[in-house]
Amino acid sequence: MSNQEALKIQGLRFFYPTLEGRREWVVNVESLSVARGEQLLLTARSGKGKSTLMQLIAGLIEPVEGSVSVAGQVVHAMRGPARDGFRGGHIGMIFQTFNLLPGFSALENVMAAMMFSSIPRGEHTARAGALLTKLGITDPAQTPEEQSVGMQQRVAVARALACDPVLVLADEPTASLDPDNAAAAMDLIQSACQEKNAALLCVSHDPGMRARFVPPIGRVCSLDELAGSQRKIE
Amino acid sequence: MALTDFTIIRRSMFARLFSTVTTIATVAVAVALMLVLLSMRDAGQRAFERGSGNMHLLVSKDGSAMESVLNGLFYAKPPQAPLTWKEYEELSRRFPFEWAVPVQQGDSYEGFPTLATTDEFFTAFKPAPDQAWELDKGSYFTKEFEVVVGAVASRGANLRVGDKMVLTHGSPMSRDGGGLSLGGSGGGAPVIKPHVHDEFKFKVVGVLKPTGTSHDRAIFMNLNSSWILHAFDRKEREDASAGKAHDHGSHDHDEPPMSTADLEEQDRLITGILMRVAARPGKDASAFLPTVFDALRRDKSITVASPSDQIRKLFQIVGGINQILIAIAAAVVVSSGIAIMLALYNSMEQRRRQIAILRVLGCSQARVFGLVLTESALIGVLGVFSGGVLSLLAGVMISGALKARLGMVVIPTYSPQWVVPVCAGTLVLACLAGLVPAMMAYRTAVGKHLRPLT
Repeated sequence: MSNQEALKIQGLRFFYPTLEGRREWVVNVESLSVARGEQLLLTARSGKGKSTLMQLIAGLIEPVEGSVSVAGQVVHAMRGPARDGFRGGHIGMIFQTFNLLPGFSALENVMAAMMFSSIPRGEHTARAGALLTKLGITDPAQTPEEQSVGMQQRVAVARALACDPVLVLADEPTASLDPDNAAAAMDLIQSACQEKNAALLCVSHDPGMRARFVPPIGRVCSLDELAGSQRKIE
Repeated sequence: MALTDFTIIRRSMFARLFSTVTTIATVAVAVALMLVLLSMRDAGQRAFERGSGNMHLLVSKDGSAMESVLNGLFYAKPPQAPLTWKEYEELSRRFPFEWAVPVQQGDSYEGFPTLATTDEFFTAFKPAPDQAWELDKGSYFTKEFEVVVGAVASRGANLRVGDKMVLTHGSPMSRDGGGLSLGGSGGGAPVIKPHVHDEFKFKVVGVLKPTGTSHDRAIFMNLNSSWILHAFDRKEREDASAGKAHDHGSHDHDEPPMSTADLEEQDRLITGILMRVAARPGKDASAFLPTVFDALRRDKSITVASPSDQIRKLFQIVGGINQILIAIAAAVVVSSGIAIMLALYNSMEQRRRQIAILRVLGCSQARVFGLVLTESALIGVLGVFSGGVLSLLAGVMISGALKARLGMVVIPTYSPQWVVPVCAGTLVLACLAGLVPAMMAYRTAVGKHLRPLT
């Protein structure tokens, strides 16, 4: 795996056990790699395992088969706190509903990402403040409850980029936004990732997003294209 | 300032301020209850033991030894039957007593009991071991109708040296007005309803320094004063029986209408004798005491009590109740632990999203577990601290109330022997209470709780 490769997935498969005993892969990715600075849009219909794939890449759940490597590290080979620390330092995540910490200011929300990284504690405030300013947050003391949706999205982007991640995972980042805000949010996410040379893996079921992911930086593929031939669990 | 685990815990507690404060208050009340009960347990017994001073025995005609001690030493109510002066003289000569001080109760002033006695009460009897009487102001009584006032009575009834006062027959603690007829022919006389002895004005000549005993509530006078007072009552009753009306206007109320010369043998009554058996110099215990005690007990006409034994017996009875109270307090402490668990458990549903976010940001499961457990422990720490402060305040209030109402100095004592186990036990309980919510936090399914709210 090249050092320039931010993400590499091989034979990744996962299913949720059901009471009925139905066993079908929810995630079935034969092979996928994303280089640093590259921006990949992964499309699929709702309920096709996009979010589960994100959790697998972030190491939040265990795959049934296969491996995920981020910046050359096999995520699931790490255990417990080591994996959590790695996620905090190398992977940024942006969600459909932003998932900011309620009651915490914008500054604190960004600093929360640094809490679990190796960034010296003394640098947290200045670094978070600078990042927020750069992303257009003028009042970092405001809590999510006091901010507009657009502002919240900016804080969420700042938090995802706070630790200079290798890979940013964006899970339906514009699904809750109106078209204008959605466009602005995607502009922000893509430009910020580009500036930080972070790979962006964006999953969305919105066909309108395709136009944003054009070569040479962007690329689009569907989950179905990535699926291996093995559909049923043997 | 960088965000820390403590900031997250603090925010979590402030986000549920009402729940946090009520949980802390629950722990605080439980801890305070436990500490107050334990601190008062030993202090109460010491305070009661202190009241018997340096006497060995108390003789009276009360129904039981316990009653004798409660009435004679703690002024619970006026004794029920009197001893004659002749009986006193015979009893005090019967054995080699170091001293035998006669006392008479029955009257009061503004709710404070009077004690008529002899000079020896102030010279021989010590109100508390190794603590002699001391005057704060004025002098001891030297003649009839002079009173010396205990520290609590002086403050409570606002009595100063030079003040004049009239006594009320009977004590407010006995609802029938005393139950003892000192002016009549003994126990068979009809009960006298409370009335003011306005024929006799007493003058305050001295105020005593506090002794921290029940005697601080008393007002002291010589026996003759009290005897004259009750002789006058007897005379009034005799006159009434003979059909003679008492004319209050016929005598000058500034001058007592009777004197010691008018006293008859039947007027010279007492309600108790404080006794000390001769002991070696410097020793409190006397080798003769058991013999004297046994011999006196055989005399069925009197009740003889060893105050220290009776107080011990009283606390054995109270001790059982005390243990039940401590068990109840322990149950309250345990229930406060359950309250912590419930408060955190109920908060977990709201906090799972926050936990899921922290996990995504790189927070380990163990750290999430630690955050919840620390919050639980912190509630315990704040509860224990508040409980400690609350128990100190309650101790001061109870101590003040006991001193004001009973004159007894009950100083709550906090021994590390039980303060440390109570505090440490509560903290351990708080941590245990946090285990279930912490485990819930540990096992939070991240993906499930990051989904958009529907």
